[in-house]
Amino acid sequence: MMRAAVPLLILAAALAAPAQHRDRNPFSAPADFQEGLRLYRLNCGVCHGMEGKSGRGARLAVRKHRHGNSDAELFRIIQNGVSGTEMPGLWMDEDSIWRILLAVRSFEVNAGEACVATPGDASAGRQLYAAQGCAGCHTIGPEGGRLGPDLSAVGLSFSREQLRTALAKPSQDIGARYRTVVVRQGGKAFRGVLLNEDAYSVHLLDTSENLRSFLKSEVDAVEKPGSSLMPAYDGLSEADMDHLLAYLCTLRGAGQGGASQ
Amino acid sequence: MRSSPMPFRLFAPFLALALVAWPIAAPAQVTNEDLARDLDNPADWLSYNGGYEGWRHSKLDEITPGNVADLRVKWVFQQPITQKHETTPLVHDGVMYLTVPPNEVFALDAETGRGLWHYKRQLPPKIIACCGEVNRGLAIHGDRLFLATLDSFIVALDRKTGRVRWQTEMVDYSEGYSGTHAPLVVGNKVIVGIAGAEYGIRGFVDAYDVADGRRLWRFHTVPGPGEPGHETWGGDSWKTGGGSIWVTPSYDPAANLLYVGVGNPGPDWNGDVRPGDNLYTDSVVALDADSGKLKWHFQFTPHDTHDWDAVQVMVLIDREFRGKPRKLLVTANRNGFYYVLDRLTGEYLQGRAFVKQTWAEGLDDSGRPMVLPNTDPSEEGAEVYPMVAGGTNWMSPSFSPVTGLFYVTCREGSSLYYKGPSEYRPGTRFWGSMFMNEQTESNWYGAVRALDPLTGRPVWEHRLFQPAWAGLLSTSGGLVFAGAQDGWFKALDAKSGKELWRIQLGGVVQASPMAYESRGRQHVAIAAGQSLFVFALP
Repeated sequence: MMRAAVPLLILAAALAAPAQHRDRNPFSAPADFQEGLRLYRLNCGVCHGMEGKSGRGARLAVRKHRHGNSDAELFRIIQNGVSGTEMPGLWMDEDSIWRILLAVRSFEVNAGEACVATPGDASAGRQLYAAQGCAGCHTIGPEGGRLGPDLSAVGLSFSREQLRTALAKPSQDIGARYRTVVVRQGGKAFRGVLLNEDAYSVHLLDTSENLRSFLKSEVDAVEKPGSSLMPAYDGLSEADMDHLLAYLCTLRGAGQGGASQ
Repeated sequence: MRSSPMPFRLFAPFLALALVAWPIAAPAQVTNEDLARDLDNPADWLSYNGGYEGWRHSKLDEITPGNVADLRVKWVFQQPITQKHETTPLVHDGVMYLTVPPNEVFALDAETGRGLWHYKRQLPPKIIACCGEVNRGLAIHGDRLFLATLDSFIVALDRKTGRVRWQTEMVDYSEGYSGTHAPLVVGNKVIVGIAGAEYGIRGFVDAYDVADGRRLWRFHTVPGPGEPGHETWGGDSWKTGGGSIWVTPSYDPAANLLYVGVGNPGPDWNGDVRPGDNLYTDSVVALDADSGKLKWHFQFTPHDTHDWDAVQVMVLIDREFRGKPRKLLVTANRNGFYYVLDRLTGEYLQGRAFVKQTWAEGLDDSGRPMVLPNTDPSEEGAEVYPMVAGGTNWMSPSFSPVTGLFYVTCREGSSLYYKGPSEYRPGTRFWGSMFMNEQTESNWYGAVRALDPLTGRPVWEHRLFQPAWAGLLSTSGGLVFAGAQDGWFKALDAKSGKELWRIQLGGVVQASPMAYESRGRQHVAIAAGQSLFVFALP
């Protein structure tokens, strides 16, 4: 009798449990996703951006969320908000919140779509990475430069096509944190990425990784061309591009953390 | 009672302070006469804008363009705040009364910043406030302070102890209502409005008896069936029409009229479900203070689809206009236009854009905007100036009787406005899609501008790095105090706009400054970041 009763009890508990105690999203159908996207745009996009990319709210197009990653955790966040922030809870029925979560997950899928390491030879790509001087600006694990994004887990965060575009056209879709700024002072040009700026001062990490602070009253110009500091690698042979992409797709480490992007 | 007496261990230092006998004056009763002459008694600051006129001007003149370079921090009052600090403190008889978000009140010695008492409201866990759990300040009368709360109560506190004297529920907050602005006391009434148009509320302005909290009248900002203006709402859209009150009204004692700026219609960005002009959203309404009856109204943005609510402080001035002395109401509206109205009749006299705007060809002879095509939100997104937060917003402007100029914080830039579906469910967002600023922010900037109050023409401009959320204070010493998004607090020459002094406060300034006198010296106060900063000359 006991053997039969336990599964029955579990079933009964599952049926009786309120939906928010589900561990996993019960929805997955395209129609549910469309409804979730609609609700997301109505309720969330104003702060998080239409595609979860930015705004005054947290970026959602990421591999890992700051306040929790499981379905249950994200459900709780959407329902209750995040205390101490401007993120309010949504007073919605639970099914709607689960559907919104589908939309949120779709932004992550963009960020974490499988990066395929073929075609190409990853070890050849690794040599190319070194030969092209990529490490001058990018970090993998503990090694590398500070001007560009940390690539330690880039194979988890971007698709192969996204990486190809980033290599060939680095200025096409560039985060504000990596845009070039040029400060001209006394005939010199200081080039780097912007760290901070207000009405009276501007601060950058220059291309030699010096932290530089300027008073605007003492400079001739502050220019922001909106482009990336990274040169366009559009002259690589198709084979070399494949090698480099194959190598980048193998990068799935923990990285060094640090500033959010 | 929802008040929570402060635990003794927190209160003990305050008590000790009281025992060592700092000679703070015993709180005298604040009378209606005191409130009416708030502007002429610059030692105190007795209402949100320092007087019924809405001028936010201090007649103190110790700090001048000649000595402001020596201005320094006198004291700072910090609290672990995670919300925006939008408050303006009151000062009476040497005591400062300060709200701290979400709904706390502190009484401080205005000379030293040391605490005298503390009130903390226990709020329900799910507050519904679209734009932060904020509070902008208090009203004072008799021996009481009045606080509008995020859970939609009006609360009277004892000025000596912070204990609750009475509290009245204005409306059920769970349907999306919240109280954020500093109330105003007129006669025996506390005047207070409600916000929540982002959640499909039906807004109102109320009057409560200062003695017992009894409601004396209510004016619905969205008229119901049978009321004038109801015909400007298609179908049942009036039921969720919005019309928030976000800032403190101004008041003309001679006319006994309250001037109340009314917020946006709901849903914000989709007007299809609410055909018509949607009165009295985006309007100023003149209400008889005794009865709450509407005397006149003027709508700045009929059938708004950009969230350009009339959340600005109405500034009341008496000036000669086209050869005739007139009682005027002037205001720089979120929609980008500056307006001059006759405040006894509501007649439109003059208007012009004070920031870049691309949605109207101009204003017609009645002051109605001549709306350009393709400026409504669309599914593809329509880029329109001003930005969604408007050419200005809730932060107070200032009028100086010394320079005769109107000062306003300006926000230059555009937004992409999208239209989408809207469905009403109580207590949830009722927006009709959204706006996007990502692609337009790089062109944004802010400014403090001085305008000729009769024409709206700019006289000078002080450029700000970003559009600011900080209001302005003018002083008879010849200065304008201004805050900025990048943490700077500044003193400008009121005549020229020249920057004369600045200090980096290390946090965003999103409040309006005020001034008071302590021990015969002028003090200037501003909330920024997690703190209230008070400045004086050495």
